[in-house]
Amino acid sequence: MKRMIELRLARAEGAIVRTLGLIERRGFTVTAITTRSDAGSETLVLRLEVASEGRPFDVLLRQVLRLIDVRAALLVESSRSDARAAC
Amino acid sequence: MKGADVLLGALRAKGVDTVFGYPGGAIMPVYDALLGSGIRHVLVRHEQAAAFAADGYARVSGRPGVCIATSGPGATNLITGIANAYLDSVPMIAITGQVATPLMGTDAFQEVDIFGITLPIVKHSYIARHIEDLPRIVDEAWQIATSGRPGPVLIDLPKNIAAGEAQAARTVEPHPQAPRSLDMTALGHAAALIATAQRPILYAGGGIGIGGALKTFRQFVLATGIPVVSTLKGLGAVPTDHPLFLGMMGMHGTRASNMAVQESDLLIAVGARFDDRATGKLDGFAPHARVIHLDIDPAEIGKLRYADVAIAGELCASLEALQMTTTISAWRRHCLALKAQHVWRYDAPGEGIYVPELLRRLSVKADGELTLTCDVGQHQMWVAQHCLIRSPERHLTSGGLGAMGYGLPAAIGAHYADPTRTAVAVSGDGSIMINIQELATLKRYGLPVKILLIDNQALGMVRQWQELFFERRFSEVDLSDNPDFVQVARSFGIDALGIDSRDQVDEAIDALLNHPGALLVHCRIDPAANVWPLVPPGHTNATMLEGAML
Repeated sequence: MKRMIELRLARAEGAIVRTLGLIERRGFTVTAITTRSDAGSETLVLRLEVASEGRPFDVLLRQVLRLIDVRAALLVESSRSDARAAC
Repeated sequence: MKGADVLLGALRAKGVDTVFGYPGGAIMPVYDALLGSGIRHVLVRHEQAAAFAADGYARVSGRPGVCIATSGPGATNLITGIANAYLDSVPMIAITGQVATPLMGTDAFQEVDIFGITLPIVKHSYIARHIEDLPRIVDEAWQIATSGRPGPVLIDLPKNIAAGEAQAARTVEPHPQAPRSLDMTALGHAAALIATAQRPILYAGGGIGIGGALKTFRQFVLATGIPVVSTLKGLGAVPTDHPLFLGMMGMHGTRASNMAVQESDLLIAVGARFDDRATGKLDGFAPHARVIHLDIDPAEIGKLRYADVAIAGELCASLEALQMTTTISAWRRHCLALKAQHVWRYDAPGEGIYVPELLRRLSVKADGELTLTCDVGQHQMWVAQHCLIRSPERHLTSGGLGAMGYGLPAAIGAHYADPTRTAVAVSGDGSIMINIQELATLKRYGLPVKILLIDNQALGMVRQWQELFFERRFSEVDLSDNPDFVQVARSFGIDALGIDSRDQVDEAIDALLNHPGALLVHCRIDPAANVWPLVPPGHTNATMLEGAML
């Protein structure tokens, strides 16, 4: 199962590594990633495609939200591969 | 004023008066500033012990423990202690020296990326790159370590920042915490479940003590009359001699607690996380029960077991809102009958020392007023099963990480947090050797810490598992070449005595409770002694093995 997750991180030392590391340690695989930062903003936006073999994404989001540098985390949409599987 | 002075000033402003550490090159500016700082530094003999002592200090005092180490090996030696604090939700500030910022990333002498290494085992971490950031970093670190679910925070301090001249220190504004509103809908659902449950059980975890919810939890027990089981870290949520307490649950739990949980129709998990040692085979755990899960940490809810009602937030407010009377007298009678039917027996045959009886008598004679710290192994489980524990901060154990070597340094930290209460480190002949150098710390500071060393000349828990689950193929568990522990203790200047028969137990208990200084009691026991009951790995808690009392 794959899901798209959007994270908003503070621009702090280690924020990206810490967040991606947590996702992998909790049993999920990051299969795609895009980033952007809005001009003048102290926030970095990460959009991740994340795969899981049965572990719940809502729990992952709550785990990610425990990180001090994570300001927001949301499930964006089902990925295309998942949508195909649903068909 | 140098950066190190700013750091220590910021710690002092938080009320820090004691730190545990070990000096070295990159942290030398901090050690220089410690002189005359008003902060007491306790020199341990290995950085791991500094972290464990800070952990013990925090668990007893309820305030963050602070440990300090230099860069490189000093920092890496802290790691086990930091991980221990992370897994057991203990507030801690770990300060590590680092090479100067121009050298960072060059593989300089004693340079490791401790910030990167510890990312998975800290609640948060900082590299202090500017002196003027130090007050803010300390303030944030303190806030993070203590708020919500507590945990360790690392501050990596490059040498040039510690040694650099500071401008006028910035003051830090206090940050008020907005009270979190109660989820009244969830509480309503929970109340309805409790009111209609026929066989409810309270599953008490370490979060009750950590969250300062002891009094409220006990009031809730009194009001509802619901029987209580606990995790290892939840021991003391109600005194272990409380009439409604059925015992610790899980792998080495009591029969009454495991059976009651398996029969229950409602499990009210309070500050617990459905750890595998507590639940056994998860899909067979409490199979008939609906679950109300209360925890400060939303990420724990639903992680392993679906919660019919999730209540994230401060335990006190939620428990107060849920207080009610129940009509479960038949269930309560059933649980108490289970407890009476499976009460511990202490009539072991023979003349050898029966450790469960020794521990029970020690704690009862002290009326539960000791601070008991444990190492890891069979003795840890015997303490959990048999000691009178009146509140969680009097039972310090490495629950999540299971770190051998925790007991002695944790007792040192516990003593500094509350010198009025005797700290007794219960250890094994395997565990004591992990941090035995801390006997020197006892001697150096004249600490009246007591050590009860249970010696079965083996890595007992591993030996037990090899006996039961590896066809008695004993691999690397024999410790019959142990040193003479009495002589070892005496060589450190610590008083010691040895016992090996039942008629010496009273004398040993008296010595542990009344000896004026540090004391090691070396207690030789039957190498074949095992911990019972035992839920075999991969089984549900309904399967409990029993064996001989040795």
